[in-house]
Amino acid sequence: MSTLTGATESAGEAVPLADDVLQPRPRRRRAGGEGAAGRRFMVGGLLLLVCWAMLSPVLWTAMVVTKPTSIAFINPPQFTYHPSLDAFVNLWQTTDFYSYLSNTVVVAVVSTLFALLLGVPAAYALSRFPSWISVVLLVAALVFRALPRFAVVLPMYDISRSLGIYDTKIAVVAALVAINQPFSIWLLRNFFAEIPQQLDEAAMLDGCSRVQVLWRVMVPLMGPGILTAGIFMFLFAFQEYLTALILTDVHSPTVPVFIATQLGQTLPLLQQAGAASMLLTLPVIAFAFIAQRYLVAGLSAGSVKG
Amino acid sequence: MRRREFAVLAGPSILVMVGLLVLPLVRTIEWSFQKVDYGSPGSFVGLDNYQEAFSDPRFGKAVIFTVILTLIVTAVLLVAGYVLAVLVNGLHRAKPYVLGLLLVPYVIPQIVGATMFSWLFNPNYGGVLSYLIEKLTGAHILWMSETWPNRVVVSLDVIWAMLPFAMLIIVAGLQGVSDEMIEAARIDGASTLRLHLSVIVPSIRGVLGFVALISIMDVVRTFDALVPLSPQAVQIGNESIMLYIYNVAFQNGGQNLGLGSAIDVLLILLIVVLLLPFIRGVAKETRAG
Repeated sequence: MSTLTGATESAGEAVPLADDVLQPRPRRRRAGGEGAAGRRFMVGGLLLLVCWAMLSPVLWTAMVVTKPTSIAFINPPQFTYHPSLDAFVNLWQTTDFYSYLSNTVVVAVVSTLFALLLGVPAAYALSRFPSWISVVLLVAALVFRALPRFAVVLPMYDISRSLGIYDTKIAVVAALVAINQPFSIWLLRNFFAEIPQQLDEAAMLDGCSRVQVLWRVMVPLMGPGILTAGIFMFLFAFQEYLTALILTDVHSPTVPVFIATQLGQTLPLLQQAGAASMLLTLPVIAFAFIAQRYLVAGLSAGSVKG
Repeated sequence: MRRREFAVLAGPSILVMVGLLVLPLVRTIEWSFQKVDYGSPGSFVGLDNYQEAFSDPRFGKAVIFTVILTLIVTAVLLVAGYVLAVLVNGLHRAKPYVLGLLLVPYVIPQIVGATMFSWLFNPNYGGVLSYLIEKLTGAHILWMSETWPNRVVVSLDVIWAMLPFAMLIIVAGLQGVSDEMIEAARIDGASTLRLHLSVIVPSIRGVLGFVALISIMDVVRTFDALVPLSPQAVQIGNESIMLYIYNVAFQNGGQNLGLGSAIDVLLILLIVVLLLPFIRGVAKETRAG
C-alpha cells in the first residue's frame, strides 16, 4: 500500500475505475509442452491439498454435528455413522438461536450502513484536504485500528450501564460503528486518492457543490471501492466477539457469544454449539464465493498498490 | 477544499470517533492511575497499577508469549501467503473457485473457527488429528494442556484464520505487476526463484508491508482463539496480553479494572512502537500528496 510505505506508484499505470476493474485481464498465452502440463498438474494437486487442509476444521465439524449425540465426541473418533440432525433440532427447540442469529445479522448490517454513511464523506474530505489535519487524522486512524479492544470497550461497558443502553443492540452497533470507522476511512481514502482531482474541479465549474460532487460523481465511480470497504466492515461486525461479549448479557447476545458460552458445558450443548457454527458458516461460505471477485478487483484497484 | 466543506464532510465521523473512541480511551488512561470498581468513581493511586503489572510474572509471560506468537505468525503469513498467492494467481478458470474456498477460514468468526479447530486436537472431544498423530507416531501429545504443543495448536489456528486474508491482499497486489517486466527478466535469463526474489517481491513490497502491518496489529491482540483452544492458558503460560487483561479486569473474582487499564495503556505503547515505521510512512505520504 503506497500510503503506508511511501513507495512511489509505478508510473504510466492507468487507474482502473468502476467497470474496468471487474473486467478480467487479458490472459497470457499458456506455455505448451509436456513439462508445462506436468507442472500445472503438480500445482493443481498442491492447491487441492491446501484447500483440503484449510477446509478440514469445517468438514470435521460438519461430521461431528451430524453424528448421533452419543458418539459425536467419543475417542477414538468414529468415521462411519448414521447421520442425524438431532443437534440442529435441539438447537432450534431448546435455545433462542433464532434471536441470536437475527441479532448478529441486524447488528452487522446496521453498523455497516452507518459506518459507510459516516466514513465515505470523511474519507473523501481527507483525500482532498492535504494539511496537517489529514496527517493527524490518518495517523490516529492507524493507531485506533490497532487499539486493544478492551481500552475502549470496558469504558463503553461502564458508560452504556449509566446510559441504560447496556445489553441492547444499539450499544453494540454504536460501538462497532466507532471501532470500524478508522479502518473504513483509511481504506476508502486510498480509493478516493486514486481519482484525479481535476474531476472534482470540472464538476464544480459546472456548478456542483462539494456534497453534489461526492454523491453524483465520486460515489458512482467508487462502486468497487465502497463495496470492498463494505464487505470488510460487514465481516468485521459479523465476526466480532469481544465487543458483543462485554456489551451484552441475556437480551442481545450475538451468535459468536452464544457459541462461546456453550463451550464449557455438557457434550449435547457442545454439539449444539457445533450445529450453530455450521448454520452460521454455510451462508458466509456462499458470501466468500461472491465476495472474492469484488475483493480482488477492489483491492487491486485502490488500496493496496505497491 | 475549503475548511467549512471539510468540517461538514468529515465532522460527523470525527465526532463519533471522539465520542466513542477517544473519550473511552481517556477514561481507560484515567482508570490506569486509579483503584476502581465498576459503576463507582475510583480513587487516585498514582503508579501503583503499573508497578503491580511489572511485578506480576504473569504479565511478563503474557508479553513474551504474545510477541513470539506475533513474530512467528507474521513471518509464516508473509512467506506462505506469497507462495499461495503466486500459485492461485497462475490459475485460470479455477481461480475464483479456489479463492472462494480458501477464503472460508477468513469469513468464519475467529472464535467459531477456533472452536472447530479445537475439535481436531482435543482428545476429550474425539479430536481426529490428535488421534491420527498418536496412531502414526505413537507419541501421546497433550495438545490442550502442555505448553509447547498448545502453542503449536494456537499458532496453527491463528495462521489458518489469517492466511486467506494475506493471500487475498497479495493476489490483489500481483495484479499490478506488469507482464512486460516479468518477460524482460525471463529474456535476461532469470531463474524462477530469481524472478520472484529480485523482480516481483520488490515491486509489491508495499503490499507485503501492508500484510505485515495488519498481521502485527491483529496477532498482538489475540484473544478469541485462546478461549476454546487454551482453556488452561493461565496455568501453562499461554496467556496473551489481551486474555490477561480480561482475566484481571472482567472475569469473576478478579475485577481489578485499574490494573487492567494500566496494561491496556502499556499494550497501546507496545503497539505504537511496533507501528512506528508505518506511522512515519503515512505521515510522509499524506504531507506530500
